[in-house]
Amino acid sequence: MDDATGRPVKLDVSDVCIGYRDRRSGSFFAAVQDLGFQIHENEFIAIVGPSGCGKTTFLSAVAGLLPIAHGTLELNGAPITGPAEDRSLVFQQASLFPWRTVAANIAYGLEAQRRLDAAGRQRVADLIELVGLAGKEGKYPRELSGGMSQRVNLARALATDPDLLLLDEPFAALDAQTREVMQEELTRIWQADEAGAGKTALFITHDVPEAVFLADRVLVFSASPGRLVESVPIDLPRPRNRDVKRSPEFMDQTEYLLDLVMRQSGLRQEVES
Amino acid sequence: MTDTVERGAPVIESRPLTELDRRPTFFARHKSLLLGLIGGLIVLSSWQTLVWVGVVDDKFASSPLGAIEGIGYLAESGMLWEPTFSTLTSVGLGILISIVIGVPLGLVIGRSSVLHGLAEPLISIMYSVPFVVFLPIIIFWFGIDDTARLVIVVWAAVFPLLINVVAGARNLDANYLQVSRVFCSSRLKTLWSVSLPGTMPYILAGFRQAVARSLVGAIVAELFMGTEGLGYVVQAETSNFQMDHAMAAIGVIAVIAVLLTRGVAWLESRLTFWSGSVD
Repeated sequence: MDDATGRPVKLDVSDVCIGYRDRRSGSFFAAVQDLGFQIHENEFIAIVGPSGCGKTTFLSAVAGLLPIAHGTLELNGAPITGPAEDRSLVFQQASLFPWRTVAANIAYGLEAQRRLDAAGRQRVADLIELVGLAGKEGKYPRELSGGMSQRVNLARALATDPDLLLLDEPFAALDAQTREVMQEELTRIWQADEAGAGKTALFITHDVPEAVFLADRVLVFSASPGRLVESVPIDLPRPRNRDVKRSPEFMDQTEYLLDLVMRQSGLRQEVES
Repeated sequence: MTDTVERGAPVIESRPLTELDRRPTFFARHKSLLLGLIGGLIVLSSWQTLVWVGVVDDKFASSPLGAIEGIGYLAESGMLWEPTFSTLTSVGLGILISIVIGVPLGLVIGRSSVLHGLAEPLISIMYSVPFVVFLPIIIFWFGIDDTARLVIVVWAAVFPLLINVVAGARNLDANYLQVSRVFCSSRLKTLWSVSLPGTMPYILAGFRQAVARSLVGAIVAELFMGTEGLGYVVQAETSNFQMDHAMAAIGVIAVIAVLLTRGVAWLESRLTFWSGSVD
């Protein structure tokens, strides 16, 4: 099924339930349930929701790190059964290998997939330039700031030129200023990466303005077990920069989504009554 | 951010010089080394003085100068280089065998919960029991030749190495393995590029203990069942009441021990420079 603009479906999620079985009691705990939506080619999707709503669990399942209990989870029409070369993940934590230089960390994915040939090395060099790490190729992770580390993290994920880019709260651990800068950098990089300009991305965050600023569409999850509450298209023009955040459209949509998210966590119930 | 720096900068330029601006003196910079040398000199010169004034008999206690002459004697009579080479060969071979056994085995045991459950109590016991008690049994099994000496060195060295590698493999950051999975690394690639370097600080900690214990193992083996090596020289010369010669051989063993420890420390700084936080 194509969307209004005629873009083909990239990720098809229908009736998905993910959870785990308690080892002692044997009872099943669902982290997400009855989940259904579609993501189209070149879309930048952000998922927001109250903490513990299973958004990271869902992302892990898309990455192939967790099995789904039932439902269908299909990428390009094929079910996801495990990690594969067509997806890569930007981790929340500092997951860089401390014994590798910046360049070697970025090259890791290509190396693991035996694609580090001349073209691969050129790709690594281009990405270092693109994410603003020129001159830092030879540094080790302990010499990098939080923002720098996440640039490497992002470049490492982009290096394998994935079909679907997964981002798990990549800026959550950064300070406010660095986060602002990184949000802008991410939109710039996402639009500029020539190997797949505007590749399909799935971004998990608990920061609503961040989601509105980055995404083409924001999906709101309910509190545990996570269900899709609403899919909100963000029609702010691209390319976006800091000024967008001061526009009335941005503020309206942020306010609307914040209200929706807080309703899920039960924080705004008293306002309603 | 920027204007605080601009406001702060002139203050830094114009403040009066303090203690912190002065370069530390030669003594301050090499304090621990100098103090160590002085301490050693005090002990050695007191010893020598006690011998000179006749409080102790150097036939029994030897003396620092006697030991230095003893080195000359050992060198002349072929009891310096050959035994040193022999001891170093035992230590080197023993460590090599321990690494070949200990590192892969430790990684495999550490990464498998079943194997860990099976092997952990056994390894802990073998690590805790002083290896010297196995000496008579090893002599019974292997005789008193080179093989037996090598066995005792490996026996001494392999358990501290193993116990550290297992601990390292178990404490390997789960995030690293997840990165490896997401990028579809093969098992071998993960072992070589993630598990091995990630465990390296533990491997080297185990290696440091293994080196120290292998030297003990080699010397003990030579004392009890050797016909060569520095331990044998100490044993034989003491039996001949040549305390100066025995003391000289002990001095050589001390030098070897210090060099080995320093070598391992250097290796650690080269291979695990990346571990250690920014702060």
